[in-house]
Amino acid sequence: MLSLQILINGILLGGLYSCIAVGFSLVWGVLNIINILHGSMMILGAYTAFFAYSQLGIHPFAFIPIAGVVLFIFGYGLQAGIINRVMGAPVLITLTLTFGLNLMLDNAMLVAFKADYRKVTLDPPLGILELGSLLIPIDRLYAMLLALVLVGCLYAILRATKIGRAIVAVRMDRDAAALMGVEVKQIYAVTFATGAFMAGAAGCLMSVIFPISPLTSNAFLGKAFVICVLGGLGSMPGVMIGGILLGLLESFGTLWLGPDFSTTIAFVVLLTLLMFRPTGLLGKRGFE
Amino acid sequence: MRARIEQLLRRTLHGLVLATAVFSPLVIAQESVVVGAPLPLTGPLSPEGTKLQRGYDLWVEEVNKAGGITVGSKKLPVKIVYYDYQSNTPKAVQLAEKLVTDDKVDFLFSPFGSGATKAASAVSEKYGIPTLAPTASSVEVYDRGYKNLFGTFTPNDSLTEPLADLVKADAKEVKRVAILSRNDLYPLALGQDFEKSAKKRGIEVVYFDKYPIGALDHASAITQLRATKPDWIVITGYINDLILIRKQLGDQKVKPAVLTMINGPVYQEFVDATGALSNNVTTATWWHPAARYTSEDLFKSSENYTSLFKTKYKDDPDFTNATGSAVGVLLQLAIERAGTIDRDKVRAALVAGNFKTFFGPLSFSPEGYANSYVPPIIQVQNGKSVVLYPKDIKNADFRLGLD
Repeated sequence: MLSLQILINGILLGGLYSCIAVGFSLVWGVLNIINILHGSMMILGAYTAFFAYSQLGIHPFAFIPIAGVVLFIFGYGLQAGIINRVMGAPVLITLTLTFGLNLMLDNAMLVAFKADYRKVTLDPPLGILELGSLLIPIDRLYAMLLALVLVGCLYAILRATKIGRAIVAVRMDRDAAALMGVEVKQIYAVTFATGAFMAGAAGCLMSVIFPISPLTSNAFLGKAFVICVLGGLGSMPGVMIGGILLGLLESFGTLWLGPDFSTTIAFVVLLTLLMFRPTGLLGKRGFE
Repeated sequence: MRARIEQLLRRTLHGLVLATAVFSPLVIAQESVVVGAPLPLTGPLSPEGTKLQRGYDLWVEEVNKAGGITVGSKKLPVKIVYYDYQSNTPKAVQLAEKLVTDDKVDFLFSPFGSGATKAASAVSEKYGIPTLAPTASSVEVYDRGYKNLFGTFTPNDSLTEPLADLVKADAKEVKRVAILSRNDLYPLALGQDFEKSAKKRGIEVVYFDKYPIGALDHASAITQLRATKPDWIVITGYINDLILIRKQLGDQKVKPAVLTMINGPVYQEFVDATGALSNNVTTATWWHPAARYTSEDLFKSSENYTSLFKTKYKDDPDFTNATGSAVGVLLQLAIERAGTIDRDKVRAALVAGNFKTFFGPLSFSPEGYANSYVPPIIQVQNGKSVVLYPKDIKNADFRLGLD
């Protein structure tokens, strides 16, 4: 029964991890930008949800579309106004640019919100689902399900809509896509903005689960990195599998070796996997 | 040619000697007392760094308002040179050295926490700078025979022993304790002291484990901990860890008779972030606004300190704010007793101890940690911190169980 509870813990955690990583993976896969801003954009989304709940009483889950749109506009402006200027430059240049922008956003949030840790405390709380002796916190369950829905929607958009196909086309071959009439720079901006939308949505979900501060952005960014590498860059199913796998590895790592080694075991598996499959679990297939 | 060069060198040398003789009184005239303070103003420890800075700033403002520190027959204003070490301990050590060698500070305040304090204390010792540590309670910080480090916190076991006494006396059903500690110098040392205190009183330690710095999830550790059926759970770490762990204990319906968490529940942020789950969480701390010390320092009493802090920051002071101000008044009293800022004499005044401060009576063990006051035990009741111990400032009874 202990192992079953650990399995549930791992799946719930993994669902949240997937949501953290999906926007990051999209931007990395399509734009070839390692978006260091991703964790901070998530925190910004979490703050909007926190204030929407504490000041206006809007439930963080209901606030997802609004936070997403706010972050979409923010992301679009950032890509179109600043990052597009260095597109095509070596990855180190874009990495440095997003690193610098991240420092600015983090410090702006420190000034605006202070470094204090905050968390949305739902009143009344959503409670706990009891299945015999198994316990499932409903807020985590909803957050995980919403995360799956969001990732599923993004997957459907990429596969079934014109703009989605254009994003995929740009990812596969930028020059060929341009020859087919795709406005590459605009697709870059839309892709980055979509990544920002997903970061804002993830922030709303996380505001109920984790203590939030501008200082926590790097912890989320680190997880996103690992999940992308584990699952495969730019692949939505890869992100889902990578996130859930990481959640399970950390949970069972705690059971087998103690909490202090939970992250160690996850990284050992990651390194071992990369030796045999450097593209990650589903990285090769991409969006096609 | 050679004779001309020698003559030129001789003249230059004479000029330099003359200039030194004329200007040296100006150069060495002490116009202020300069203290160096490396702080974690950004990075994971920035909430604590900011709290300490508020404590320092209040002291500086009050002391300069009164004309400065009395040094012999003069009054010298105080200036603090801050550097942000970004919660990065090696950087704290580098900046402590820079403060001594480049900024030529007279004294140092230690960086935040036991780990960084221990690391930076080597710099103080190397240059012989009396250094006041506002937030170092682990005895491991003071075990190298250094002569320049003086801490305002009593050792960790001064928190764990009275808490274990209280649990033993008032929670008779407690037979089994589970301890989960952050794998970091202070929280881990504190967890180990809890283990000793519990064992000493015949309470069985059924679980003891560590979680890594930066952990984002504790569900599986809590699942294992719950399986050991403890009556008393002790969690050590910092506020972000404790908010998350308290939430996840609630997620798994873990409701021991006693839940102790250090450090976090004394901060209002903890209560705000955990809501009703904060109720009945016990903790211990080195200072609380309920303290009623009268003092010889410029704050005059704990109550007056609390009132001044509230006026300046529109907020209640917590122990981190207070210890920031306490190292300030301690340094001031030591300089005033020494009548000079000569480091050897100030160090001797600190060693002599017996300071009556708003933070409590402060004297130091030969190793350098405070050994002269009893830290209060706190419990959150109905969203407010109340004092359970010591008796002279107790304002509520111990409540068992959790919401």
